[in-house]
Amino acid sequence: MRGLLLLLRKYNYVLVFILLETLAIIMLSNNNRYQHSILVNANREITGTLFEAVEGAREYMNLGATNKILVEENTRLRNRIRALDEQLGDTVVNSGQVGDYFFFPAEIVHSTLYKQFNYLTINKGRRQGVASDMGVIGPQGIVGIVLESSDNYSTVIPVINRDFRLSVKISKNNFVGILSWEGMSHRVASLNEIPFHADVAIGDSIVTSGYSAVFPEGLFVGNVKEVEQQEGNFYIIRIQLGTDFQKLFHVNVINNFNREEQVELEASLKQ
Amino acid sequence: MIRLLARNIIRFIILILVQVLLLDNVLLGGYLNPYFYVLFILLMPFETPRWLLLVAGFLLGLSIDLFTNTLGMHTAAAVLMAFMRPWVLSMFAPRDGYEPETYPRIHYYGFGWFAGYAAILTFMHHLVLFYVEVFHFQYFFTTLLRVILSTALTTSTIILSQFFIFRK
Repeated sequence: MRGLLLLLRKYNYVLVFILLETLAIIMLSNNNRYQHSILVNANREITGTLFEAVEGAREYMNLGATNKILVEENTRLRNRIRALDEQLGDTVVNSGQVGDYFFFPAEIVHSTLYKQFNYLTINKGRRQGVASDMGVIGPQGIVGIVLESSDNYSTVIPVINRDFRLSVKISKNNFVGILSWEGMSHRVASLNEIPFHADVAIGDSIVTSGYSAVFPEGLFVGNVKEVEQQEGNFYIIRIQLGTDFQKLFHVNVINNFNREEQVELEASLKQ
Repeated sequence: MIRLLARNIIRFIILILVQVLLLDNVLLGGYLNPYFYVLFILLMPFETPRWLLLVAGFLLGLSIDLFTNTLGMHTAAAVLMAFMRPWVLSMFAPRDGYEPETYPRIHYYGFGWFAGYAAILTFMHHLVLFYVEVFHFQYFFTTLLRVILSTALTTSTIILSQFFIFRK
């Protein structure tokens, strides 16, 4: 023990060196976009592999709960199919492309929940067709939007990140507002820009509006939890998120086949 | 002691100002930029404790970074340079060591000694700086050429300054 202390005293400048050099690299990464993107990509590949192993164990232990959620989702989907079948009746469906959206599965290998700027990492990347700005949903509702992808992993910016913004609407009357997160509980988000004349009640369901090219219309987001009236013309609405990020493992990434076309068209209109 | 400290602090400030106000606007042949400010680390007294060297290098690099908006780049390079200085000094040490009351300058240890000492440390600094700036090894030799040319330029500026300004 004394030997160790002596060694530390003799070489304490090496510790100072490591400390200062680490600090320099942290500053470098935080403030220079180019170096940052390279570091983050390399880091994502390494940590992704590690986290995937750890998450595999955690996932195994939570199989029971996951199963239950999946069964519930199955039931909901089956009900929906039946309802749609009835609606369609005998009408002939135009065959060809099934829809503008394609869903493919991914698993969350790492997530943060208790920070102001949370991020998720999923185990699908460029090679599997994931790209920036694709939507991500879970069995209980929307999860987030893909931020950046490396070859085999992607970073997702979830609803519970203070930078997250999404256009959503009240399901029953189609009033559109902006979904954001204020950094409090990971189960509660807020909905802004709903005007006073809109009819909002506790328990109303909130779904995606489909105005952005990221999510199709009508995906479940959450339920209204609290409605506050303050000065100004808009309500302050708190939403109980459908997705419980703590129990989230399996997600779907949404690829919108027409996204590029829509983005291009909207960009040309702005000019 | 106080006088030594004051001299170093004034030198620190002057070198940073010269670097960011004057030399950063000088670009020779497209990408040659002398980083004269490393002279501060070269001129610190022999007895400076290693941790102080590192902290001084850190502050020096950080100050330059703040002006050039490249936070971290010069800091990483200057800290590494400060870390290597004691080894380079012992590598170049005369047979009976460095005498007290002397400083690492041409005046005390001669032209050859100072040129070697300055060139090696400047090279290390530039090596880190330029590779961190490019941040991959794709253009390895182009970057290496830039390192070598800039080292030559910085070192000759430093040596010239020894004859004109920092004589003692």
